[in-house]
Amino acid sequence: MTALSVPARPEEDVSLRPVPWQRMGWVTWRQHRATLAWVVVFLGVLAVLLYLAGRQLYSAHAAALAACQSASSPPCPGAIIAFNGTNGFLANGFMLQAIPPLIGAFVGAPLLARELETGTFRYAWTQGFGPWRWALAKLVPLAVLLATAAGVFSLMLDWYYQPYFVAANQNLSLTEYTPFFPGLFDLRGIGFAAWTLVAFAIGALVGTLIRRVVPAIAAALVAYAGLAFATSLWLRPAYMTPMVTSSVNVPGSAWVMSQWWTKGGKFAFSGWPPERLFAQYCPQGPPVAVGPGGKPKQVGLAECLTPHGYTQWTAYQPASRFWAFQWIEGGWLLVLSAVLIAVTVWLVRRRAT
Amino acid sequence: MDIDKAISAEPRRPAGASPIEFRLDPASGVPTYLQLVHQVEHALRLGYLKTGDQLPKVRDVVAALAINPNTVLKAYKDLETKGLAAGRPGQGTFIQAALTQVALPELSGLRRSLLGWLADADTAGLDEDGVVALFTSVLRDFYKRRGGQGDRGGASGETEGVA
Amino acid sequence: MNVIEASGLGRRYGGTWALRECTVAIPAGHVAALVGPNGAGKTTLLNLAAGLTAPSAGHVTVLGGQPAGSPMALDGIAFVAQDTPMYKNLSARDMLHLTRNLNRRFDQQYAESRLGELGIPLKRRAGKLSGGQQAQLALTLALARRPRLLVLDEPMAMLDPIARHDFMASVMMAMAADGVSIVLSSHVLAELERVADYLILMSRGRVQLAGEVDDLLASHRLLTGPAAEADRYAERLSVVHASRGEAQAHLLVRATADEPVPSGWEAHPVGLEELALAYLREPTTVLPGPDRARRRPLRSENGERTEAAK
Repeated sequence: MTALSVPARPEEDVSLRPVPWQRMGWVTWRQHRATLAWVVVFLGVLAVLLYLAGRQLYSAHAAALAACQSASSPPCPGAIIAFNGTNGFLANGFMLQAIPPLIGAFVGAPLLARELETGTFRYAWTQGFGPWRWALAKLVPLAVLLATAAGVFSLMLDWYYQPYFVAANQNLSLTEYTPFFPGLFDLRGIGFAAWTLVAFAIGALVGTLIRRVVPAIAAALVAYAGLAFATSLWLRPAYMTPMVTSSVNVPGSAWVMSQWWTKGGKFAFSGWPPERLFAQYCPQGPPVAVGPGGKPKQVGLAECLTPHGYTQWTAYQPASRFWAFQWIEGGWLLVLSAVLIAVTVWLVRRRAT
Repeated sequence: MDIDKAISAEPRRPAGASPIEFRLDPASGVPTYLQLVHQVEHALRLGYLKTGDQLPKVRDVVAALAINPNTVLKAYKDLETKGLAAGRPGQGTFIQAALTQVALPELSGLRRSLLGWLADADTAGLDEDGVVALFTSVLRDFYKRRGGQGDRGGASGETEGVA
Repeated sequence: MNVIEASGLGRRYGGTWALRECTVAIPAGHVAALVGPNGAGKTTLLNLAAGLTAPSAGHVTVLGGQPAGSPMALDGIAFVAQDTPMYKNLSARDMLHLTRNLNRRFDQQYAESRLGELGIPLKRRAGKLSGGQQAQLALTLALARRPRLLVLDEPMAMLDPIARHDFMASVMMAMAADGVSIVLSSHVLAELERVADYLILMSRGRVQLAGEVDDLLASHRLLTGPAAEADRYAERLSVVHASRGEAQAHLLVRATADEPVPSGWEAHPVGLEELALAYLREPTTVLPGPDRARRRPLRSENGERTEAAK
């Protein structure tokens, strides 16, 4: 039985140099340029809308400040109501919280899930470049691009929400938020970019595990929501030990975490006073004062109770710690994203599919 | 036997190409390489191929018939062993010798004795298929005993035509 | 050099073994055909060899001892999966560019001229090409990488007869021109004899038969004789498959041409298709080891002889 002899191949080298990384640059670009375009268009349109809405907000704010130079001037109440009502649906930021998970899930989840679902991985993973390097060369550039786009967009968000952080707002009963407000904290600073990054990383990992695009998107959104809630409720409050003060003039920009009262050095109660105390010392009820977000301010209570030996204590995070919190949160989100991407690449390398 | 054109489109024939072209009968039951060998021998008998002619290049055969190139090589090696062809490295395979021709008077003698044998078989009651079966089996035994490369031909009882 | 060498290879999905105890050694310079019914484990074996999936048991090496899926293996093997997967929204030219970027070697000129010969427009999206054109495009991409081994998983399922012929002709020409070894899976037996010179027969996740076609055909005979004697001879002979009528029986046995035939019986050589069918009809029959010339009784799964012996 004669068999064809295998001809010698001229470029045979024993130590195989891997295909250079930059070749994947074109591959990633060509395959995902449409997706990236969609993201840019999406954010661009939002930015334009945000700019128009911001113009309204700024002029309402300026009008209110001007009208309320003297507190009793007639146009002042109207101007206050006008400002507080402008773009009310955007005010607390919760709607915009949806952007990072949407971007992350719709870009990250299909990345690997589509290849696995349509079978194109049987082409992509049998090329000389190698499956795990291919995955890494897609995930990292896309992650960086998305985070950058999100970061740039968040500058617009930051600009939009400035009117809510002016210190004078509190005194004028204009809506004022603490920078730590859950709906707003991660729209600004590096939070928006970091959350977009982690959403992308979650999407990519979930897509690799689930291997079907639509379920992967859904699962990524659920996982992100879980992480975001857990962070907001439990993780973020614990980044730094809160400051404690007995002053009643806690600035409106501070993030009040808890309040309690002591009498004679011993703990009396926290939050609202019990009924009997309330009836005893504040028979007509405290002067009602409404703080930011509609929370009743406890300044009024102090007027009744302080003369009787009660001291109010407030644990809070000052607004000046905003950036410290941003770095902490951004830092661990970055580490988590790196870990998720590394796990994704490792899964591909193991090729357990 | 007519030398058919290949099934797929006819490629342009450059100068120095082979005079013959192979065809394949997939349903004949004869192994592919044997079909090629037979076609060469038949072409030699009929005069399509002469000494010095080049046999089709392996890649041309493969392109036309979509068969394993090892099969073509096997057929050509077979012809080499029979002394009919010889490979020239880098150039191809060329016809080296003609089939041993039987002289004309001997041929008519063989023909006469064969007719006589057939008459006897017919008298004994053997029909055509029976003749073919008997002949094929004896033919095989004869060449096996002779120890030659004898055709391991198809079980269907295909006979070699004698020109 | 063995292009694919597996030892005790197995792959399990959940509780089922898609492939088990697979030990083969496919030599280079051949066209090796993997034959078997659907679900036999052909795709699993090819996926393991291509490095697309990791074994659950045993191991597999390619191209003379390289681990499957290693950079050297990926470099030297071009794999065309079933349904020839392709990025549907990329044009043929984009697919060429893609493949060029993902590999060390790519013959752009060959690829473009081949597509031109086949009449596949470079600008058209891969999803808009016909099934046959997609298969040819996938094959072009694979061959342009100048691999040492071409692995094809049922590549011609979607092709009409002319397209099949052209496809196979291209594959065979690559072998003739470049010495590429071919491993392909198929469940169409009729075309095999023309094309395959190494056969691996698979059934229910196991390898029944593996060897060079010439050796396999030389080591099997078809014996025809009286049905009444069939049982008696079945004891002495290694019968793969028996079929019988009232008076006459055919036994496909493992025997070489020089072994004596029982008197009253006729022996014929066996064709590839007939041999494959006989084994596939007896899925529990396994030919032991890669050596075929030695005469050994057939060993079936639960120790029983094949049906003819009963």
